[in-house]
Amino acid sequence: MIPDTLFQLCTTSAMAGWLVLLASPIAPTLADRVSGLLIPSLLAIVYAGLVMAFWTRAQGGFDSLANVMRLFTKPEIALAGWIHYLAFDLFVGAWEVRTARAEHIHFIIVFPCLLLTFLFGPAGYLAFVCLRAARAVTPLARSTSLRP
Amino acid sequence: MTVDILGMRQRSASASFVRELFGREPRYAGAALCLAALVAPTLVAMALDERTLLGVNVWLKPLRFEIALTVYLATLGWFAGWLPERVIATDWYRTYSACVVAAIAAEIIWIVGAAAFGTASHFNESSAMMAWTYRLMGGLAVLLTSSALVYGILILCHSNSRLDPAFRLSVGFGLVLTFFLTVAAAGYMANSGGQFVGGRSTVVPGATLMGWARDRGDLRVAHFFATHAMHFIPAFGFVASGVLSGLAARWAVIVFSALFVAFVGYTFGAALMGRPFLEVLP
Repeated sequence: MIPDTLFQLCTTSAMAGWLVLLASPIAPTLADRVSGLLIPSLLAIVYAGLVMAFWTRAQGGFDSLANVMRLFTKPEIALAGWIHYLAFDLFVGAWEVRTARAEHIHFIIVFPCLLLTFLFGPAGYLAFVCLRAARAVTPLARSTSLRP
Repeated sequence: MTVDILGMRQRSASASFVRELFGREPRYAGAALCLAALVAPTLVAMALDERTLLGVNVWLKPLRFEIALTVYLATLGWFAGWLPERVIATDWYRTYSACVVAAIAAEIIWIVGAAAFGTASHFNESSAMMAWTYRLMGGLAVLLTSSALVYGILILCHSNSRLDPAFRLSVGFGLVLTFFLTVAAAGYMANSGGQFVGGRSTVVPGATLMGWARDRGDLRVAHFFATHAMHFIPAFGFVASGVLSGLAARWAVIVFSALFVAFVGYTFGAALMGRPFLEVLP
């Protein structure tokens, strides 16, 4: 299977996972299982297979920025890197939704964090951490949380 | 009193096979689960990687070892329920089983690593390091196979076992024979420097399912049946203990075991003479 086809397949799967996550207020169990477990696991399998098959033939390494950039000059390794983003971002998104539900943070408040996580991974995670911290230290923030 | 053929009543039977396996031998069950989890990425690697070794995809061998060792560990884990009471909790057993699991982990890392580099693991004498690693792995292979021997002896000597006597005999014989037949077949193969006998071409046409050579002798056939004595003989013992009375069932197990050894000997001899196993195989 050529890398382009695999790229399309994995990106579409991740998109499906995010869509299911958006439906989590009405289908929480489905979102936990599909977006938090099933799709990240499938992406992880593809990632691991790519690394097993192509890692030893890639140039570069982790020791310098130049070497990391050289690693990604091999399409299969660049694809593995992309799938790494897809899997971990979705996993973090699902964790945010699960944590918010457990802590009675309304989905509407979590939504911007999810959007950020979807687009810029760690930035969304940071936003969610800040949201939780704000709720922990500010009684006002806690009282304004909408009950799900 | 009814005879408890499978010994299920020794422990409370769990609804889930995996849960039951973890209850019987958590270390082997965990290792089997890890190996089974490796199968999926290995299949992906096989689909994506175009490199071949001896005419077959480089990932076919890791795949076979992952499946074979998963089956081996899961079987031992299941048989652990028929060991004498409290053996699993003893210090010597914990140390020994940890060594077996470590040996299996080393074998798999070696085989997967070699495939990742597109090179051979077994019979690789291309460098001093690979040659010494191959010898070390041979020793570890004996260690991991010895678990069948230890289990077999413990089960055969377990006089208070609630297993049906004929079935217990078949499990014990199967395990002990797995060790001796495997070490004999694999040991010869290792010392002879290759799995094939006869044939000159570098590309070996193999059977679809098992990959056994169809144009020459293949010592892996004997290795396969030798290692699966622990499945074939207990399977026979299970049936025999169900349909025959006590003594007859035990004799049936003994005769079947002898025939099985003869069969493994036949496959080994045929390979040594350069004859492919069952040429009609797909």
